[in-house]
This record gives sequence, C-alpha cells and structure tokens, in this order.
Amino acid sequence: MSEKNPLKNLLANKMQRRTFLKWSGAIGLPVIAGGIGTKMLIDRKEEAKVVVAKDSEKIISTCSINNCGGRCVIKAHVKDGVVVRVSTDTQAGGDFATPPLRACVRGRNYRNMLYHPDRLKYPMKRVGKRGEGKFKRISWEEAIETIASEVKRIGDKYGPESRYVNYASGQSWGLHGGKNAARKLLSLTGGYLNYRNDYSSGAGNVATPYTYGTNNSGSSFDTLLHSKLIILWGQNPSEMIFSTPYREYLMQAKKNGAKIIVIDPRYTDTAIAFADEWIPILPTTDNAMMDAMGYVIITEKLQDQAFLDKYCIGFDGEHMPDGVAKQESLKSYLLGEKDGTPKTPEWAEKICRVPAEKIREIAREYAKTKQAALIQGWAAQRQAYGEQFMRGGAQLACLTGNVGKLGGWGAGTGYWNRSNIVFPFSYENPVKASIPCFLWTQAVEKGTEMTAADGLEGTDKLKTNIKLIFNMAGNMLINQHSDINKTTKLLEDESKVEFIVVSDIFMTPSAKYADILLPGTTFFERYDIGVPWCFGDYVVFGEKTIDPLYECRNEYDVFAEVADKLGVKEKYTEGRTILDLVKESVERTRKEIDPNFPTFEEFRKQGVHHFKYDSPLIGFKDQIDDIEKKPFETPSGKIELFSKALWDMDQHDEIPAIAKYIPSWEGPEDPLKEKYPLQLIGWHYKRRCHSTYDNQSWLEEAAKQEMWLNPKDAEKRGIKNGDRAQVFNDRGSLMIDVKVTPRITPGVAGIPQGAWYTPDKDGLDQRGSLNVLTSQRPTPLAKSNPQQTNLVEVKKA
Amino acid sequence: MTSTTESIHIQLQSFLLSRKKCYQLLHLLFFVPEKLETLFEIQRDNTFEELGEFHEGGKILHDFFKHLSTEQIKREKEEYQRLFIGPGPLVAPPWESYYRSKEHLLFEEWTYQVREQYHRFGLQYRKENNEPDDHLLLELEFMIYLSDLCLHEPTEEKIEKLLTTQISFLEEHLIIWIPFFCERVIENTNSQLYLGAAMLLEDFLSFDLESLVEVREGTRICLKKIH
Repeated sequence: MSEKNPLKNLLANKMQRRTFLKWSGAIGLPVIAGGIGTKMLIDRKEEAKVVVAKDSEKIISTCSINNCGGRCVIKAHVKDGVVVRVSTDTQAGGDFATPPLRACVRGRNYRNMLYHPDRLKYPMKRVGKRGEGKFKRISWEEAIETIASEVKRIGDKYGPESRYVNYASGQSWGLHGGKNAARKLLSLTGGYLNYRNDYSSGAGNVATPYTYGTNNSGSSFDTLLHSKLIILWGQNPSEMIFSTPYREYLMQAKKNGAKIIVIDPRYTDTAIAFADEWIPILPTTDNAMMDAMGYVIITEKLQDQAFLDKYCIGFDGEHMPDGVAKQESLKSYLLGEKDGTPKTPEWAEKICRVPAEKIREIAREYAKTKQAALIQGWAAQRQAYGEQFMRGGAQLACLTGNVGKLGGWGAGTGYWNRSNIVFPFSYENPVKASIPCFLWTQAVEKGTEMTAADGLEGTDKLKTNIKLIFNMAGNMLINQHSDINKTTKLLEDESKVEFIVVSDIFMTPSAKYADILLPGTTFFERYDIGVPWCFGDYVVFGEKTIDPLYECRNEYDVFAEVADKLGVKEKYTEGRTILDLVKESVERTRKEIDPNFPTFEEFRKQGVHHFKYDSPLIGFKDQIDDIEKKPFETPSGKIELFSKALWDMDQHDEIPAIAKYIPSWEGPEDPLKEKYPLQLIGWHYKRRCHSTYDNQSWLEEAAKQEMWLNPKDAEKRGIKNGDRAQVFNDRGSLMIDVKVTPRITPGVAGIPQGAWYTPDKDGLDQRGSLNVLTSQRPTPLAKSNPQQTNLVEVKKA
Repeated sequence: MTSTTESIHIQLQSFLLSRKKCYQLLHLLFFVPEKLETLFEIQRDNTFEELGEFHEGGKILHDFFKHLSTEQIKREKEEYQRLFIGPGPLVAPPWESYYRSKEHLLFEEWTYQVREQYHRFGLQYRKENNEPDDHLLLELEFMIYLSDLCLHEPTEEKIEKLLTTQISFLEEHLIIWIPFFCERVIENTNSQLYLGAAMLLEDFLSFDLESLVEVREGTRICLKKIH
C-alpha cells in the first residue's frame, strides 16, 4: 500500500516524526491568532485600473522647500503609487533668462530620504525623562487633544508670552509649513512671543542697514557678467547653494574674463572651481585685512573721492554728522590719527596672516578695476563681532565707488529681490514682544529679566519665561543652537519649559527632546510652491507626488485639528486646504503682482516659472542716479560709513560707528589661546543642508563627516590622516576623524556644521557635532550667533 | 478516481492544518503584544512546552510564557516598539526591502513583488502605498491565507499549484530575508519573547519549505498515478 501511495507514506511516516508538525498539530490556538482584528490583507478593489497603470511610469515635477538658498526641480518617476526614482531639470543651459534648475547631490538623494526606514511614522508621546529618547506610540486623537489642552493650560496660566515657536528651517521656502501653522494657531488663541532675525546672516541683517538703510545691497547675478574682478569673501557657493543658477553665472563671468579671488581660511570647492587666487586668512580677523585695504586705498589716493563726497557720511572730517569730532572719521581711523596705529598692511599681516604685499596688491586691484564686485558670504559674520565684517565690506565697496554700478556690488548682506508671489497663509500675532532668535535659551532661563539691552522689543519687560515650545521641522532646539551641553541641560529641566512639541521626518537630536513627537511629511507628500532665498527669478511648483506615508501628516492639517479643539478652526483654515492655498497664491499673484504669471494648470504642467526681465537689477542704482529724488533709507539719506545712530549707543568699543577690526574673544589674540591654541570654524557641507540629511548614507559617502587640520598642526599633535581625535574646550568635547590637509590654514580646525549630536553613554559626542563647542555669547549689536568664534584643542584619540 | 482525489485532499489535512497553526502562532508572536487575554491563554495552554523539548527557541518561549505577567507584557510592548516601531533608527526593521535593497530602503522592488502576489489572489494590503506591503506580518498573513486556501481546496491540480505558490513565496521572499532579520533581533534583544520567536521563525520557515517540497513531490507522483 505504502509503495503505491508515496504521499501517504510520506505523511504517515516521515512527516509524523517531524517534531514541528507533531507539536503544532497538537496545540490549541488562541482564537485571535491570525484571525479577526489582526487581518491586514483585504479583498482587493479596483482590479482593472491598476493593471493599466502598472507599466506606465508617470513623471511628476515637484520641489523641496528646505533651507537651501536654491530651489531645484525634482522629477519624481512614479509607478503604481510608488516613487521609483528621481531625476531633475533636463532643460538645456545657456539661456540665462531660463537657467536650468538642476539638483545637486542632495537632491539626487530624495528618494532615499522618502523611503528611509527611519522615517518617523506615528505620533508618539514621551514616556521617559525628557531627552532620554523613550517614547510610546499614541493615536493622532490623543496627540491633538494633548497639544490643544497644553496650549490652553499654559496660555491661561502664564499668558501668551510663554508660548514660543522656535526658529526652524526644515520647511522654510514654501507657502505653508509647520512653523507658520503653529504661529497661526497661537495667534488665534491669544498670541505668542515673537522672535526676530535669523541664524544665517543675523549680524549682517542688523549691521548692513546702518550703512545702507537696507539689506538689499546685492545685484542680480547677471550683473556679474559685466564684472572684471569678483572677490568672494568667505563665500562658498559650490557647497552652499545661494541660488540654483548662481554658479552658472559665475562660470560665465569667468569665461568673460573676470578674475576671481576667494578669501577663506579653507581652500574651498569654490576656490578650486572658480578662483584665480586663494587668500587664506585667520577666522575673525577679516576686518584687519579690510582696514588695511582701506589704508592702502587712501594712502595711495585710489579712493573714489567724488563718490564718497556725494553719497557718503563719515569718510573724512569734512563729512561728519553734526556734533561728532573730525577725528572720528573713517579716514582718521585708518590713518591712526586718534589711536596712533595706522592700519597698515604690516599691522594687518600680524593679525590676519595675509602677507602685507598681498593685501596691497588686492587693495590696488580692487580699487583700480572697473567694475569690481566684492561679494561677502555670511560665515565671517557668524563671529563675535560679525557686524563689523558686514559693514567693513560695504565700506570698501564705497571707497572704491563700486556701489550702484553695473558689474560692481555693494557688499554687505547682499540680498536682492525682484520676483515675488503671494503668500496667502497669514496671521497676526496680538503679542508684540519679540526677542532676537538667538536668545531663546535666555528667554527660557530668565526671560523676565531681559531688557532692551538684550534686544527685547515691543515691551519693556516679559511677564513670563518661555514655557511652551513648538519646534516644527527644525533642529535649532538642540543641534543647531550654540552650546549643546548647555541647551540640553536647560531643556531637561521639565519645570522650565513645560511642554515641547516637535514635528519632523526623522529622529533628530532636537526631536529627542519632544514631549509630543509628530511624524511630518516630505515635500513629495504635499502641495506647495518653492521659492529661492531672495536671490532668484524663479519659482518651482511642488506637486503632491504620493499620499503621506504611514501616519505622517502635514502640520497645516494637524493644527487645523488643534484649532478645531480650541474652537477656531474656521478662522484657521478660512475654509482652505493646502491645495487651495497653492491655487490662491497663483491666482492672486496673477492678479496682484504679475499678470504674466501662469495659471495654476499651466504652472503645474511646466513645473517651474522663470520671471523675465529686460535688464539686470543693480543694487542702489536709483540712489546713485539721483540721490536727491531717491535717498538711501538711512537717517541722513546717505550711505553712513559713520552711523550716528550707532555712535549714540555709546558702546564704542564693541559697537563702533564705523566698521573696524575688533579683536575677538576666542580669536587669535585672546590669551585663552595658550590653553586652546586652535581656532575652530564650521562650514556648510555639500552633503547636508544645515543639519538636514545627516542620516543619509549616500551623502555620507559623497562627503564624510571629518575635521580638517593643517599638516603642521596635525604633526605637532601626532595626528595622521584618518586618525580619530578628540576636540574640546571648556564647553564640551567631541570625537571625529581627521583629514590632514593643506587646504586649511595653519592654526585653524574646520568641522562641517550640522552633524547630528550623538552622545555615547558618557555624553561624549561621536559624530562631530560642532555646536558641542560653540558659545551662546551673542554679538554685541544684533545679539546674533557667534558660532565661528571658538578656541579648541585637539588630541589624538 | 474520485476517492483517490479526495484522499489527497484528506491526506493533506493534518499536515496543512499543523503548519497553518504554526504560521498563526508566529503571526501572533510578532504582533504588537497588547492582547493580554491571548497571551495568558498561551500561558494556560502551555503551548510551547513540547516544542521546548527539542527546540531552543521553543524552550526560551516556554520559559517566557511560564513567567508571564502583566508587568512583563508591558516591558515587551516597549521592546516591541524599540525593535519594530521606533521612533528613530530601528534595531530590526521588519520589512523585506530593507534587507534586500542595496541602500536599505523601504518600498523597493520586493514590495512590488509581494504586492503582485497579493493581487493575484484578489488581496491587497489595507494600507497599500501607505505602508510597505512586505512587512513581516503581511508576508506571514499571506502564508496563512495560502495554507488555508490549500486546506480547503478539493482539486488535486489546484492543490499542487497552491503548494508551488507557497514554495515560491518562501523561496523568493521569506527564506531570503528572514535569517538577516532574525539575526538582528537575536543579536539586539534581551527579550525572551523576541529571542525565542525569532529562533522559531527562522527554523520553522526552512523546515516548512523542506516539507512543502517533499509533499509536493509526493503529490505529483500521486497525480501521475491517477492520470
């Protein structure tokens, strides 16, 4: 029988002896197992439709709105509801009216970001101590209920000034986003404490207007095609994308014969790609070189005297504001008439290490070349006396008469803008009190003690410290703010800030400090319109490519539900969805700003819109053409090389009325250098946008997180290329691999900023997060971040 | 003829039922541990006692359930969240694509492949395109579904086809990624529950594949004889 029926034989004899089956055959199963309540596979609907869609790949044009200066076109190739790959703008280059908006290495990684296994997927609430990283999955209902009741409780108990929406830039260049959603909700329920300024060009934003009356001191990039000399002072557009087409203009300027000089402590990718000459300089000493350039220009009579006489206040004794002594003039300072120190190139060389002869050469070249564009990056103003750097550059532009002329450049903050769209999501905060964004930790600790001297505006005194923080798509809560060890300690004290909400797409160091943690969406999962930083004549359509993954939600929708709980939903949404906001922006832009703007459907189809102009935008051209009719927006109506307003603040040592070199605390002249001999700087790395994408492995492959150190400094410390080292000062300590390279000037260590703070069990950061070592001491005038001003020591691990 | 056909169907009943129960139990073990009743039922039934006599994972599970308490379940729930839910980097991501794609991403081609299999059987993931289809629990649920289908299938050719489908699904999916997944769990957890469950999962899958291939062979020989 068994030979005739091998199956029976198998089952009866062989299998029966198989213990797994013998065991499982005998067990009883709980009713629930694999049954009702756990079933996730259901009968399928819409059979026919998907069969058709299966092979056809749809290409959807969309756009990211992170805090990159550019906006690029991201083309999502979608198949069966899944993004299978991304590509970018395929339009040919060459026509400067419609430059291609191609993605860089960061943009090519977007699919990996979208489908990364570490995405935050569900709402969570904190269960351990704050910052410990222990969370429990909760329902959206519970998350929203908790947020609504805390917003109300804390508002009722402490007043609206206790509620704060932290500086965050993960979603910053679109129409909506978490920060604005939170602000609107708070506006409708009593208000919140405002902040001013930013972490990017904070010192400059406050300083440049004292010279020019505005930060719009730049010109459209096509003006560079007419420049004969371009000086990029601390600007690195090869890594830090100021505007997507910027480099194309620079390349064309170079082809047109412009000489390009890069001044930077590092031999940057920009220096490699564009520079005819690289001038290494010590951090925080830029103004010494600027002063010396001014000295050379004046003593060799190369200044544009007519320009200075007609447009400027404070160059020489003859052009001082009423009531100020002649020897307070710029000229007098540079010649050392009052302090006895002429600001000679030899004087500067000792400070900034640029050879005196080289300073002379550059000063002469800059003064004699018509026209020359001195363009300042913002790294050098993120230092102890960053205000001086921005006004110092503008000062040189004025000495050489390069302001308001085609091919010249006003230096200073350097914004320019002429293309706008309507932002329909608006709110009005009933609270007028505001703090400088960098001082939020101070407002947590002792907000009620802050005064005008701390940059408090809109009120004489705050009634409360910050008690509630919304941190939406941002890493400023921990990682990007100075002095991480100080900040973590502050936030760990749950009696200070009582409630923190974080929304993000990944578990960032800031997200760890959430009480309620919300899974946000990527740009693929929502509609938007992406705009570049101020520099650019283009906007990019952000098409929703797929539905939000997991339980991720757009903050706009989350706060609509919170608003519902608090009875203000109608006022919050005004009946609009996110898509409605996008449509409204397009319609109103056509009506209110530019009738040539495409319709919603046209824009969606094109994916991008280039604004077209007949002529370049030249910063301050109107003023230079006719200063009587169009004065500068300064108190005097002229360019204020000497600012009476600053003079009247009466803090001449740290807030001088003319730009000048001020030796920095933790600069090369600080006695602390004995203990911590290296100056530490950071830079915007090409593999991240600030701290965004730090967890993306492709990008780490493209550019590893490592510290640059000059061979001389490495050798002294017995460090070889690739060695791991400890970097430390009184504020903290971190571990990082070292790249030994002559591409950084001796005496300086460079760590790319934005790496995610990753403490080991002893609290020692293992990733190289710069802000473990930076200081919370603000700049004197703007109360801005000095994150490039650090002294450290390095030792081999 | 008829009687022989029935006999294949009938002969396979106990085999198919036994393995279906095994899949159900595995599904239960990897489901979020929140149904207290169910877990205490396993404790009462001494479900893993016999398994523990010959399988290390079974022994660990038996010990675990012997000492089960509400407090313990709470801890397992935390561990479950740490291993499989997040937030943040997961110790053992429970998706096939993660282990098979070069970049360790989700929603890669394997997600598609298993989705296609579900579709072939008129099924789809409740959260299709919202969460990946190649989650461990879904693939296990699909195996339960196929076992059940097979169990109730009277036609011999169809039985043979269903056996083949299950073999292919194991060979092309579960058997490939589960060892890596289980390795991650085993190396990173102190939980007796997940340690035992991972050991059982890995071993049972290879056992099941082996058995299915043998049974299909037997069935084929039978079928030849019948025709």
